[in-house]
Amino acid sequence: MQNNTRTHTVCRIRVGTSGYSYPEWITAGFYPPGTPARKMLAAYARRFPVTELNYTWYQMPKEPAMERLAERAPAGFTFTAKLTRSLTHEIDPGSWRRQAELYRHGISPLLQAKRLLAVLIQLPPSFGRTAANRRYLASLLDALEALPLAVEFRHRCWAVDRVFRELEKRHITLVTVDTPPLEYLFPTLDVVTNPDLFYVRFHGRNLTGWKSGNIQQQFDYLYSDQQLRDWVRGPLTRMAAGSRRGVVFFNNHVRGQAPRNAAMLAELLEAG
Amino acid sequence: MERAIVHLNVADFAVAVERVVDRRLAGRPVIVAPPAAARAPVYDMSDEAYRAGVRKRMPLARALRLCPEACLRPPRPELYQRAMDDLLRRALDFSPLVEPGPADGHLFVDLTGTSRLLGPPVDAAWKLRRRARNELGLDPIWTLATNKLVAKVASRLVKPAGEYIVAAGDEEAFLAPLPLHLLPGLKAGDLERLARLNLTRAGQVAGLTADQLRVAVGSRADLIAAAAKGLDAEPVLPAGRHTEKVSAGHVFAGDTNCPGKIKAALLEMVQEAGHRLRSGKLAAGGLTLVVAHSDGVRCIRRKRCRPESANDFDLFELACQVLELAWTRRVRVRSLHLVCWKLRPLSVTLPLFAAERRQVLRRRNLVAALDRIRSRFGSRAVCFGRTPAKAS
Repeated sequence: MQNNTRTHTVCRIRVGTSGYSYPEWITAGFYPPGTPARKMLAAYARRFPVTELNYTWYQMPKEPAMERLAERAPAGFTFTAKLTRSLTHEIDPGSWRRQAELYRHGISPLLQAKRLLAVLIQLPPSFGRTAANRRYLASLLDALEALPLAVEFRHRCWAVDRVFRELEKRHITLVTVDTPPLEYLFPTLDVVTNPDLFYVRFHGRNLTGWKSGNIQQQFDYLYSDQQLRDWVRGPLTRMAAGSRRGVVFFNNHVRGQAPRNAAMLAELLEAG
Repeated sequence: MERAIVHLNVADFAVAVERVVDRRLAGRPVIVAPPAAARAPVYDMSDEAYRAGVRKRMPLARALRLCPEACLRPPRPELYQRAMDDLLRRALDFSPLVEPGPADGHLFVDLTGTSRLLGPPVDAAWKLRRRARNELGLDPIWTLATNKLVAKVASRLVKPAGEYIVAAGDEEAFLAPLPLHLLPGLKAGDLERLARLNLTRAGQVAGLTADQLRVAVGSRADLIAAAAKGLDAEPVLPAGRHTEKVSAGHVFAGDTNCPGKIKAALLEMVQEAGHRLRSGKLAAGGLTLVVAHSDGVRCIRRKRCRPESANDFDLFELACQVLELAWTRRVRVRSLHLVCWKLRPLSVTLPLFAAERRQVLRRRNLVAALDRIRSRFGSRAVCFGRTPAKAS
């Protein structure tokens, strides 16, 4: 495995991509031609030490599947996993507690195998800072207390010190995002709320694509070398100074741009 | 390239559609069955009614005894077909390869190679389900796998609601702990023979060699071994080219032994099936007839159709022959079910000899004329003398 775990001062930063199983990454040249999906993780793990599991957002993780994943991943390889949509985007007030329980149970093999760095709670832009949503989020964080958590807000109304203080108190990571410059989106902040882990997600800056609602356009973006250098010199350095560990993911998966940018960033961190 | 097959399945489809039409039915037990006839079989039921013991094809009177608080709705096949068409139209926005079931809320969608346009198949599948929910009020189960067989098993596993993604390469491990009866294609006889050898899980069967399995199930060993390992190369057939089977059914309002009524019902079913065959430009290579009696016994007989045909006259002659084979008991008949199988593209070739050719042409032209009249004035605009109104 190529070492993409970078020690930045005293902080170990792992760089990877959001998801790894994209057939179009074969045509993009990241995977060798003819790579079947079942062999993609092994091929991916030769380049990166961590990945973010996206499909756990679409379906509740199942214990046997997570066990198989933990067994299949090479030694030292780690995961973060998105929280299921029924707890973030399609919340049913009557059943979410049961869903949280199912999630805890389903993801447990990765946790037990010490391969789970964080569970990503990605909240939609429509999830505003209302009293009801604040209450729900507090209850959700309580329900998932046993898991290492990271919260990604999409709406800027959550960018207030009180929220950060509460996350800090609970030892929960606030996710730092790089997104297109849209007024309502959560801003890029280098606030560290959990010294054990900082978490950065690069979504790309495709403004038109973001508004299109088409996932292929939304995440169609390639960061330039200069943009990544600015990140290394700026927010990443500051966050690394206050953390023991960090993970950085590229979500601009279209046409294999995510692994390309992840490799570029890893190189910059290595050099810096 | 690995395939990405989505199976969309609206559980208890008829009930789901009825609930869209009448929101008061939500959360209440519902039985769909002809209300006038106590012995008419249950067409469909909600999960609440199922949990109370109601099953499909159960006599309505018994179903109501088991679930007396159930709301009863008469079957409306045209409504269900319209809902199915709506679902199909939405699925066609995602892929040209969509294979719908016969108005039963099932769809297979082949998303292979669509990711550059639509994003990862899992996202497209979720969006399709979201559209079905937001635009049609239906909440289908959705599953994603590399083939139809595994996607279907995954649907059966999460029924009545939910989703399941079986990752490529995980098929055999996914199936291994599951009971064999969840695998499509396995017959009751296969399950019985395997159970005698204490083989009840897919993983147990997948672990056998071909020779070992042949001892248990004979010539069906290859098919069963492939199913147990999650192997299935069956393509998703585009909408309108679903060529597996065409079927029609008839339930008598009161059980009967009257040959006239039975033949009239048979003719009506032949006309319905024949029309569907011709609409799909298909011909049947054989017919199967299921005769269900009052005491629950069912007789099933089949016959090859040589040459393949979609003509009502040919099909009715053959159906009568099959009826003679299947209807041998004196117990009254409750329902008939006709299945046309071995479907082939409809041939326009005429017989070589003049006399035979004349007869084929006459029949073909007559049926074509009937189809034209029905397409313009409705399916009841013209009918055979044997079926004056509707076989009762």
